[in-house]
Amino acid sequence: MDSAKPQLMDRPKAEARHAASEASGAALVSALDAILGVQADVALDAVPVPHRRVERWKYTPVASWWKDVLASDVNTVAAAGCEANPVPGLDAYRLVFVNGAFDAVASDLPVHTGVTCMPLSQRGNAKLQDTDSFSPETSDWFAGLNGRYSQEGLYLRVAQGVELDRPILIHHHTSGEGAFNVLRHDIALALNASVKMVQWSTAHAGAEGSVNVLTRADVGEGARLHIDKVQDEEGTVRHIAFEDIRQHRASHAEVHTITVRGAWVRNDLTFRINGEGAHAELNGAFLPGEGEFVDNHTTVDHCVAHCTSSENYKGILYGKSTGVFNGKVFVRPDAQKTNAYQQNANILASKKASINAKPELEIYADDVKCSHGCTVGQFDSDALFYARSRGVGLEAAKAMLVRAFIGDVLKGLAVLEVRLEVEHRLAEKHGWEVWSDHPNDEA
Amino acid sequence: MLKINELKASVEEASILKGLNLTINPGEVHAIMGPNGSGKSTLASVLAGREEYEIEGGTVDFDGVDLLDMDATERARAGLFLAFQYPVEIPGVSNINFMRAAVNGKREHEGLEPIKGKAFLDMVKEKAKLVELDGRLRNRSVNEGFSGGEKKRNEIFQMAMLEPKLAILDETDSGLDIDALRIVSEGVNAMRSPERSFLVITHYQRLLDYIVPDVVHVLVDGRIVRSGGKELALELEEKGYDWIKEDIVA
Repeated sequence: MDSAKPQLMDRPKAEARHAASEASGAALVSALDAILGVQADVALDAVPVPHRRVERWKYTPVASWWKDVLASDVNTVAAAGCEANPVPGLDAYRLVFVNGAFDAVASDLPVHTGVTCMPLSQRGNAKLQDTDSFSPETSDWFAGLNGRYSQEGLYLRVAQGVELDRPILIHHHTSGEGAFNVLRHDIALALNASVKMVQWSTAHAGAEGSVNVLTRADVGEGARLHIDKVQDEEGTVRHIAFEDIRQHRASHAEVHTITVRGAWVRNDLTFRINGEGAHAELNGAFLPGEGEFVDNHTTVDHCVAHCTSSENYKGILYGKSTGVFNGKVFVRPDAQKTNAYQQNANILASKKASINAKPELEIYADDVKCSHGCTVGQFDSDALFYARSRGVGLEAAKAMLVRAFIGDVLKGLAVLEVRLEVEHRLAEKHGWEVWSDHPNDEA
Repeated sequence: MLKINELKASVEEASILKGLNLTINPGEVHAIMGPNGSGKSTLASVLAGREEYEIEGGTVDFDGVDLLDMDATERARAGLFLAFQYPVEIPGVSNINFMRAAVNGKREHEGLEPIKGKAFLDMVKEKAKLVELDGRLRNRSVNEGFSGGEKKRNEIFQMAMLEPKLAILDETDSGLDIDALRIVSEGVNAMRSPERSFLVITHYQRLLDYIVPDVVHVLVDGRIVRSGGKELALELEEKGYDWIKEDIVA
């Protein structure tokens, strides 16, 4: 708590204090390097540790705990008790990572012409994609941490024209204390390739520590990538996830982020659109309960002309929870005829909940169509009364409105079984009776 | 069925109902008419349990229980139904799932299991016929994009689904063309029974040609100032409300 309000201190003092803190952090980094046998070739110290005077971290304080991440026990022992399949009925290829380690027994890798899919540690001499000056590793300390310490993850290459027949499910599971799960998924889709992926994160009730996942995907010309990303972690795990998506001509990329449960979650998505005719879609729903914190930071970077992007994030905040939404859209000078849409709507379901929502549009081209909307509100009292006047209970009526509110986001999920399981888990978490809006009901 | 005694209510410190008395027996249809601002819709909202209204005095007995002691949900489950003057749109909630939640709420109150899918759909089909509710409207979001007439038919459809003891129709005739008015009225008439009562709130006598009341009341300034048979409505239509107001003053 000592550094909770640095903005009240005079600036030089605060800077000095932060520098001292970083210096002690550097010692921890060296210790961690030794434990993990990491050659310090990634210049972590080039990126400052996040603090609240940096806009990207203004509403997401980490001062009180960032050093704990480095002082983890580095628990990489594969613990038993990981859910067999978090998505019942889903027919998918699977890669299971328990406490950051690949679990070969629980996994089922695709054997498919034109598809190279394996744990990162088994890729031999195959190269990962380069980080360039725009990559999150060069601008974000946590991403830098990932760059330095990630040794495991998914390595996926899909050849020209290949469409994978089943989704790939990546299951991250955390158990025990002192977790330091650093994973990197490196994906490249060649011309017209197509893949659906599910990233599902779970943690045991007693789990404690940090999860740091960076997914880098290069979506080739005409290629299609769908990622359904679900976070449902018990315990007190701090989860930070980066998606760094690079899109080429006429490609299509979607990331749907659903945060069901998580003590502390930050999602940081970047879509860089480098080829004409490409479409980016990013949707999310977050429903933090008592004491939970969820932050969604997104960047859509329109670098070239004739591209479209669509973004829709919905938040419902219960109890004493906190949410952050920051949606940045760049339209570069060459990106004429861009059509970018962003929407963020939030419901505060409790007087103690808070949301920090900020759309950020930077438009440098003059012939573009960009629209955005951002709302924060409460439950519609007319709709609640209407439902109650028909005999629906107050809590059931609220649940009905919530489900309607996030319905469009959930319908965007690429895999039906994921949607059904998300609905099930949300109902379980919030004590909703049944999820009656089953897709089979829709005539 | 319903016994209102000296009911006083206000909203945002403005006193609207100023000692209202009304008794409706089982099977009776009562109509309440009155000029704008007399408190007609306030009465409907207060009876249905809208929390923005402050009850300042009086009692309401509903079939032997204290109505004012119950919240909106409990009142509905106990058999009170309000057909809204302005039905609310609920985007994203399908009409059919909305009704399933409502029917199951009532069944829970009665100690019954949730209704089975097939039985529910049969019930929907049967009740929808009553007001000629298009099948497509059942799967659309509640009232979203419905025409004025469709919204009102949907209200009567919901009433038929919930089979209330007492139905309050709040200006159900507003915004209806002649055909819709006939369909809605026929739906209501089909539901009349010796055990079910209706309170019909309207501005116009026209509706009462279709739904013939047993008693007509005139509400002025928060009180019922005159009651009579269905002829009273005709007299009002002819002479206007000023006639009553003058009468009261005199």
